[in-house]
Amino acid sequence: MPVLQAVNVSHRYTQASPTQFSAIENVNIEIENGELVGIIGHTGSGKSTLVQHFNGLLKPTEGKILLDGKDIWESKKTVHQSRFKVGLCFQYPEYQLFEETVYKDIAFGPKNMKLSEEEIDKAVRKAAEYVGISASMFQKSPFDLSGGEKRRVAIAGVMAMEPQVLILDEPTAGLDPKGRDRILDMIKAYQKDTKKTVIFVSHSMEDVAKLATKVLVMNKSRVAMYDTVDNVYSRAEELTEMGLNVPQVTKIFMSLKKQGVDVSQNIYTVEQGKAELLRLLGGSKK
Amino acid sequence: MIKDITIGQYFSAKSVIHRLDARIKIILTIAFIVNIFLIKNFWGLGVIVATLIATTLLSKVPFKMILKSIKPIVFIVIFTAVLNLFYMQDGRNLLPESWFISITDKGLIFAFFLAVRIITLVIASSLLTYTTTPTELTFAIEKLLSPLKLIKVPVNTFATMMTLALRFIPTLIEETDKIMSAQKARGADLETGGIIDRIKAMVPILIPLFVSSFRRANDLAFAMECRCYTDGEGRTRMKQNKISFKDIAALVIIVLITTGIVLLNTFFTHVI
Ligand SMILES: Nc1ncnc2c1ncn2[C@@H]1O[C@H](COP(=O)(O)OP(=O)(O)O)[C@@H](O)[C@H]1O
Ligand SMILES: [Mg+2]
Repeated sequence: MPVLQAVNVSHRYTQASPTQFSAIENVNIEIENGELVGIIGHTGSGKSTLVQHFNGLLKPTEGKILLDGKDIWESKKTVHQSRFKVGLCFQYPEYQLFEETVYKDIAFGPKNMKLSEEEIDKAVRKAAEYVGISASMFQKSPFDLSGGEKRRVAIAGVMAMEPQVLILDEPTAGLDPKGRDRILDMIKAYQKDTKKTVIFVSHSMEDVAKLATKVLVMNKSRVAMYDTVDNVYSRAEELTEMGLNVPQVTKIFMSLKKQGVDVSQNIYTVEQGKAELLRLLGGSKK
Repeated sequence: MIKDITIGQYFSAKSVIHRLDARIKIILTIAFIVNIFLIKNFWGLGVIVATLIATTLLSKVPFKMILKSIKPIVFIVIFTAVLNLFYMQDGRNLLPESWFISITDKGLIFAFFLAVRIITLVIASSLLTYTTTPTELTFAIEKLLSPLKLIKVPVNTFATMMTLALRFIPTLIEETDKIMSAQKARGADLETGGIIDRIKAMVPILIPLFVSSFRRANDLAFAMECRCYTDGEGRTRMKQNKISFKDIAALVIIVLITTGIVLLNTFFTHVI
């Protein structure tokens, strides 16, 4: 059974007039347990709106969201529970930090779940480890950290609730390449270790290619594609029409293929490209 | 929801009221509010209500927007009216003597006048903000307060501060919305619990809001300095506002209305 399911979901921000445009329109998707889904799309395509439905922050104007097969809007209780089962980390989450210490801030979510002291402590330490925040930083004020550290503390705050599904909205926005790679590695390690479902929004095709097992492409409020990385990236022309760019290496390998060179087309990162070229040149050197 | 707040909202339209000079509009509003408190009988009340309706129609602000502006005060109006109804015990009792409460005819009229006064006052001031852009409004306040410069009150600085404050209201509302969502996603419970719990629940919203406001203020000050902003004397304006014929006409009208109300007060019996 899929862990999350959207059935004919549409959302209009202002419901006053029925002619108002929908931020998302007729979305139908199923997300299986343990998957790492990358959501990609142009700015304003409805990515953030969609993910805010998964933990009941936004109520669908039409349609249903099923979590473990049950409608999350069934009752007040189920909505409240969905907030803990589905951990959503907003874009620029560092602006939500407020506690005196890093430790307390990470503990805010678990505390709201009414866990015991020991459980909270365990959850906080584990989450901090995933994001690479050492125990020596626990007593620091979150406002004294660097931008990248703040972001990681904020993500840890959501991870500490140990949600069944972790959603990150543009977790790498505004970070330098090093900070970005760090966050991506962290997401991968978290997923590998916990085997839980992770959904992340991004507008970098490279990032998605590096991490995701499945890609959801949003275009103009609708789901344009929802498939494996290989299947989605092979439709490069359609993606370009939507204003999305396939990674440069992919383009190079595609044109090599067109010119008759026997290379794989499913190359999305520079590392993969390097390996493929080495294979082609007959060398198995590193 | 938090987005329903309408303070300082401007409604763009092409109307005579929109085109009036902002300084005149402020004076007119104040004069009108004085009149609201001058009235002593139903004749005066009629004049006030008729003037307000006429102005609203002229301003082309939709009736729905006017209703929206009085929505937040409905409770206060009802509360004060009811309170006065029981507090004012002069006059003839309208309820059977055996009841333990009494409502008098005077109390009833008093409560009615009070309600109408609050509502007209709020509508008049919202009409001012609906038909005047914040920039015009600050300019007008700056001009009207300029005599205070003589006693060394920094009127220009005050005006700039006000413009900036008005400009950032929508930004702050949006920011509050975002932070609230983010904390709700971490399981913050903002809706249930007693009053103490609810105040405590505001802390995770207010602290990030303050932090980001200071950051914004700092960035803004820096950006203004980079563009050579200096405060005080000698700043000129791109748009020069001039008093025109219709402004004078509006002043004459308000003077006539005031005179009318004073006369109505003199020649007809007072009911309050
Ligand atoms: N709080 C809101 N109120 C009204 N409209 C909104 C709000 N948030 C987003 N929108 C609109 O909904 C559309 C989708 O926005 P969003 O989901 O944020 O897109 P994305 O995250 O893909 O950039 C946009 O056109 C945006 O203007
Ligand atoms: Mg977004």
